[in-house]
Amino acid sequence: MHKHVVRAMNVFRLIGLYFKVNLASALEYRASFLLQAFGMALNNCSFVFFWYIAFSQIGGRIGGYDFNDVMFIWALCSSAFGASHILFANMNSITRIIVSGELDTFLLQPKDVLVSLLCSKTSLTAWGDFLYGFILMALTHGGDAQAWSMFLLGIAIGGLLMTAISVTAHTMTFYLGDASLIGSMALEFVINFCIYPEGIYRGVVRVLMLSVIPASFIVHIPLKLARHFSPGLLLLLLTVSAAYCCFAYVFFYRGLKRYESGNLIIARM
Amino acid sequence: MAKLRKYLVVTRISLQNVIAYRSSALGGLLFYSLFIFVFFNLWRAIYKGGEVTGYSLTQMIWYLCITELVVFGCRSGVYNQMNDDVKSGSIAYQLNRPYHYVMFQFFNALGNMVFNLVIYGILAIILGLIMAGPIPGFSFASLPFALISVFLGIIINFFFMITLGLTAFRLEENFAFYLIYQKLVFMLGMFIPVEFLPKWLQSIALYLPFSYVAWAPARLVVAFSWDLFWQVIPVQLVWALVSILMSLGMYSYGVKGIQAHGG
Repeated sequence: MHKHVVRAMNVFRLIGLYFKVNLASALEYRASFLLQAFGMALNNCSFVFFWYIAFSQIGGRIGGYDFNDVMFIWALCSSAFGASHILFANMNSITRIIVSGELDTFLLQPKDVLVSLLCSKTSLTAWGDFLYGFILMALTHGGDAQAWSMFLLGIAIGGLLMTAISVTAHTMTFYLGDASLIGSMALEFVINFCIYPEGIYRGVVRVLMLSVIPASFIVHIPLKLARHFSPGLLLLLLTVSAAYCCFAYVFFYRGLKRYESGNLIIARM
Repeated sequence: MAKLRKYLVVTRISLQNVIAYRSSALGGLLFYSLFIFVFFNLWRAIYKGGEVTGYSLTQMIWYLCITELVVFGCRSGVYNQMNDDVKSGSIAYQLNRPYHYVMFQFFNALGNMVFNLVIYGILAIILGLIMAGPIPGFSFASLPFALISVFLGIIINFFFMITLGLTAFRLEENFAFYLIYQKLVFMLGMFIPVEFLPKWLQSIALYLPFSYVAWAPARLVVAFSWDLFWQVIPVQLVWALVSILMSLGMYSYGVKGIQAHGG
């Protein structure tokens, strides 16, 4: 048990160090950093406008959600996406790194390969996504402590789930040779099911959102918990999310055994 | 005529190219289908909640199929291409070639856009028929006139994209402008018909170019009227001309600032 705790602490320390280095690098180009983050936040604001128009057309609820519910799932999805891309932006490049043979560099490092691979890049626009969620929450939920606590927990869970989805999709490259199409689409696909009320879908799609496309666990269940807290539902959320992330981790390492080095010589700066 | 012929050769080659690599369109087609599916569900839920003025649900689904076709299906990547050419300096290699850079980009993208328009058009018709059924009161006789508006919408969008890409000549980071433009097109027509906007915003939107990219063509397809046709086509023509002149102006302004250092 003690060994696992130490290992987990080491992983968190490694993620923290990568974060510090990546942030310092981003801040070297302050103007670009701020402009990109601001642009992304503004970009997201346009969807608030869409929902304002949609609700003002009919009033009441859409798919069982009111305006504040929609703003909650938007805020959570945006901040979770931002957090995952601030910390693990390399998730989008896994296929390219495997196919080009750049993975060799990560295999030689004395730390967890997947963690090093994911953390070695950050995204500037992700800061805009991350902060946008907080602003939206402050504007629509004010001091609602239950909503804020589920929002913060949801960022951690959602961020990890989004990363796990991307890792799983890109890991298919080990089996298929090139899964760039699946890799680039998987996360966007899931996000599309996160940003609209769950109630607009029926039957099979709802089942998929609770399984293969874990959109319900990223935003919809945290919303339910924010509105009506239930310890059982929280336990289910934590268990399924942990299982999904563990599956992605194991799947990557299983796939890694199939990797053959191309003897590419590169230097990481 | 000889000048035009060389550009048509560029279009033909790009069309052959995109047909040869047709499987790369698969991802886009899947996403197009996904967006239509999601919005079909969303608008169905909205219409269940109450009446929406100006459009029936069937018209609304077809409206989305057309706006997505114009904006999504006719993506050419020209913004990224120009941005990369300017930022990487590779534009310097294209300046001494026997063509105008902006016109080359247009005719090069045209092949891609023609291909996309055909395959996304077929998909739009299939999805529209499956999800919503035929458009009530639709007449094939009015379709060629609506297609003029579709064509002008694509031109306006394309040359504004070029203008934005070329701002890289003078600005270090221009991505924020691209996002703002894209979202204005989304919000003032692509996702929401202009008729749904508050009155004060409608009157502003009708003076701006953004609604003429997607709203005008889609409205003409789902509810054609000669009044609307004569109302939107002149405005589209003006904005098409403005966007072309802006892209050419931005190019000649930017090119003056290039400093080549060999390589």
